[in-house]
Amino acid sequence: MRAVNFVCNAPQAKAVALVGDFNHWDPAANPMKQMPDRSWLLMVELKHGHHRYGFLVDGVLTLDPRAQGITRSDKGERVSLVPVS
Amino acid sequence: MKTTATIGKKPRAHNPVPIRAAPNKGKVHPVLIYPFKQPAQYSDLEALYEMVARLGRDSARYARPLTVMDRKTHYSKKADREFLSFRENTVARYSEIVDAWCVDTCQMWNTGLGKAFEHGKPDDVYWLIPGDFDYGTSVGQEVLSRLHDLPEIVLELDQDVCIGEIAADHSNPKQLIDTYGTFALLYTWFPDEAEEIRQFTERPRSEFFAVRHSFLEEILAKRWYPYEQTVVMLLHAVSSSKRISRFCVGNISDLPEGKESLASAIQQVERTERVLKSLWRDRHQAEKDWLDRYRVLEVQSEQVRRAALVVLGNLMT
Repeated sequence: MRAVNFVCNAPQAKAVALVGDFNHWDPAANPMKQMPDRSWLLMVELKHGHHRYGFLVDGVLTLDPRAQGITRSDKGERVSLVPVS
Repeated sequence: MKTTATIGKKPRAHNPVPIRAAPNKGKVHPVLIYPFKQPAQYSDLEALYEMVARLGRDSARYARPLTVMDRKTHYSKKADREFLSFRENTVARYSEIVDAWCVDTCQMWNTGLGKAFEHGKPDDVYWLIPGDFDYGTSVGQEVLSRLHDLPEIVLELDQDVCIGEIAADHSNPKQLIDTYGTFALLYTWFPDEAEEIRQFTERPRSEFFAVRHSFLEEILAKRWYPYEQTVVMLLHAVSSSKRISRFCVGNISDLPEGKESLASAIQQVERTERVLKSLWRDRHQAEKDWLDRYRVLEVQSEQVRRAALVVLGNLMT
């Protein structure tokens, strides 16, 4: 397992959650915490491999523009990719 | 909105390809495309074949790599001892050499992917690795350290194709060619597919990719074009609803600009147009009104190409 920091810079958002294959896209599983600079941060432990994820910004699935990759979820939505080695 | 995901504390290690337990899935077939023009220095190829040697040690995961070498390259260097030594002691040691007479690089791809496919099985993945990249530089080392992600993404996430993208700033010649040439022409001939492709990549001519056995079987059965085959493959992928991923394998913004000459850029735009026109005709020539539609598109395409050449001329000279 490796610790991965996810950062979402959505200063106006009321709530941001991290969703992905690793939490079965559950909006309640990984809420992100707003930092003093108004960005949203969460560290999660992920196993080795490639993980699909996205940010739910006030309920809207949002890509990570700085993600290393892009693919589609099983529902066909465009989502981000993070490698963990 | 700016977002990012970073691995905590330990940055990703550069270069070494992780040796892992073989997954209960298919094998990865690396297909290397030896540079058509032998570089004077071997440092880039040495770095590449160091990685290939590591792949060879993980035979549970990787099939024996193939290196496609054009016979013209071989014959032009047949009296060059350094080349012959490198070929025998490095290339042939760590990979199986496929000697072939090829009209262009995409024929080398066709030869290598086709040969690997004949040895492959339905769960396997084929991984194209171009040899003409500065792998010996720090940027190249970074690319080498990430290339293995492409076949792994196809295997782990059950994708049909994963395109490796090299990030470049907007003034990079390759980016200029794709912005003003490739995409402008794609939007002319295949607007719906162009929109979908752009959702995944800004570099639809990338030479870095990995492709699943079943999708490779489909594209090998279709007409293979002598150039810009990645664009053709992506068009097939989009129109047949294949699962596409894109993964950034590095960043070349640190490299000196201006490597592509204007003449080369013009050639690349012209080739792209030629391929798209041929592909469009292949797809539509059975339709009743195809010729009228083709003539309209051809006029638009010529305008797009001329505009691209003016823009590239202004920006690259």
